[in-house]
Amino acid sequence: MKTVINEQNRRNFVSEVESMLHDKLAKCYQCGKCSAGCPVNFEMDYTPNQIIKMTELGMEDTVLNSKTIWLCVSCNTCSTRCPKGFEVTEIMDVLREIAEKKGIVSKVEKEVQMFHEVFLDNVKSNGRIFELELVGKYKLKTRHLFRDMFLAPKMLEKGKLKMHGEKISGLNQIAKIFKDFE
Amino acid sequence: MKLAYYPGCSLKGTSFEYEVSLLKILGVLNIEIKEIPDWNCCGASAAHSINHNLSIALPARNLAIAENGGYESVLAPCAACSNRLKSADYELKTDDILKKKITDSLEMSYNAEMSINNMLEFLTGVIGKDKIKSMVKKPLAGLKVASYYGCLLVRPPKIMQFDDPENPVTMDELVALTGAEPVDYSFKTECCGAINSLSKPDVVMALTGNILYDIKKHGADLVVVACPLCHSNLDVRQREIERKYDEKIGLPVLFITELLGLSFGIDPNDLAIDGHMVAADRVLKKIGENK
Repeated sequence: MKTVINEQNRRNFVSEVESMLHDKLAKCYQCGKCSAGCPVNFEMDYTPNQIIKMTELGMEDTVLNSKTIWLCVSCNTCSTRCPKGFEVTEIMDVLREIAEKKGIVSKVEKEVQMFHEVFLDNVKSNGRIFELELVGKYKLKTRHLFRDMFLAPKMLEKGKLKMHGEKISGLNQIAKIFKDFE
Repeated sequence: MKLAYYPGCSLKGTSFEYEVSLLKILGVLNIEIKEIPDWNCCGASAAHSINHNLSIALPARNLAIAENGGYESVLAPCAACSNRLKSADYELKTDDILKKKITDSLEMSYNAEMSINNMLEFLTGVIGKDKIKSMVKKPLAGLKVASYYGCLLVRPPKIMQFDDPENPVTMDELVALTGAEPVDYSFKTECCGAINSLSKPDVVMALTGNILYDIKKHGADLVVVACPLCHSNLDVRQREIERKYDEKIGLPVLFITELLGLSFGIDPNDLAIDGHMVAADRVLKKIGENK
């Protein structure tokens, strides 16, 4: 596959990422330490150091559609170990946020993305997470109705599943936060 | 000192055992904490994953309520919540433009002058090891305990400012205070898969399996944690991991507050130890608690 990238588009993408990241992509010297310690590297299509380089090269579509950005669990091992102090974990947040804003739905890892969206919807409507409602809505959205259901009876017996959620009284403030920042 | 308490959503739901045991031991230690009135969800991993500003604004509301209520310190027992509260506090201290946007939106002031503590910092820093040691009425001699820290208590070190990010020891020191023997192993700070538990269960089981089998190999009787999400993956998913890898684990996973409570001589039922998916009967028997 031949990829031709327009230099102006490349610069725009790099500057968008860097301004959100508060860090410089050129800092990374590709030692690969981030990727070596990444606990989910075995599932990724591109390693974290490849994502950094591809972003710097302006390969916008590839990084925004990668599995990697959604598989990253933000454990921060990469950033902690980076010899250059580059914000490796943060770049994943930045790329996810750009993908989300552009309405790009991950083809392979859409369930991770959906979970985040359903989670925030739950916060928006209750102010707090009502776990049963969160799981129910997530299952409906992903159509994985029966996955993990075998855990439910014992969790119920142990008192881990609350049947009623609580709504906070400052919901108007939460609505305002979402309006101002969403 | 006025101490605020930010429970977070998990402690009111799937990890109720953490709150029950925490309140019980603080009662015994005579420490008074007050729940932040009308607190909201910190946004957890979902917020920072797809909307940075939201991930600062949601915790900021809780911090502003606490600070304006005259509290000097906040306890956030959930590792993820404490991580998000500290991250928000850090950004509000370092990014004046974002701070103005957020305080304007909240219509509240925030000066970032409180100390925000995770459970381990609160136990060792605010309460103190000497006071905890003085409450140990029933030493847990003979019990081998592995402390699992996970990610969010120690990373990123720039913001968490807590213990050694690669080899933390605070929880092991607390374990030693109870008279139990801390077990050293390799996966103390490896990630359990965290928030992807529902969306990528296979990945989470692989990561959590690595941790549990390593702990097992090093001869521990049980695991202690200070994070509801870690607890959920290590405890709730354990049976499934055993089936997947066809190898028994059988490791009870307790919150550090429960282990301390047992050493204080508190009845296991008052610490909600029967709330876990993996029964702790064998461990309780070993320390002479007949259940």
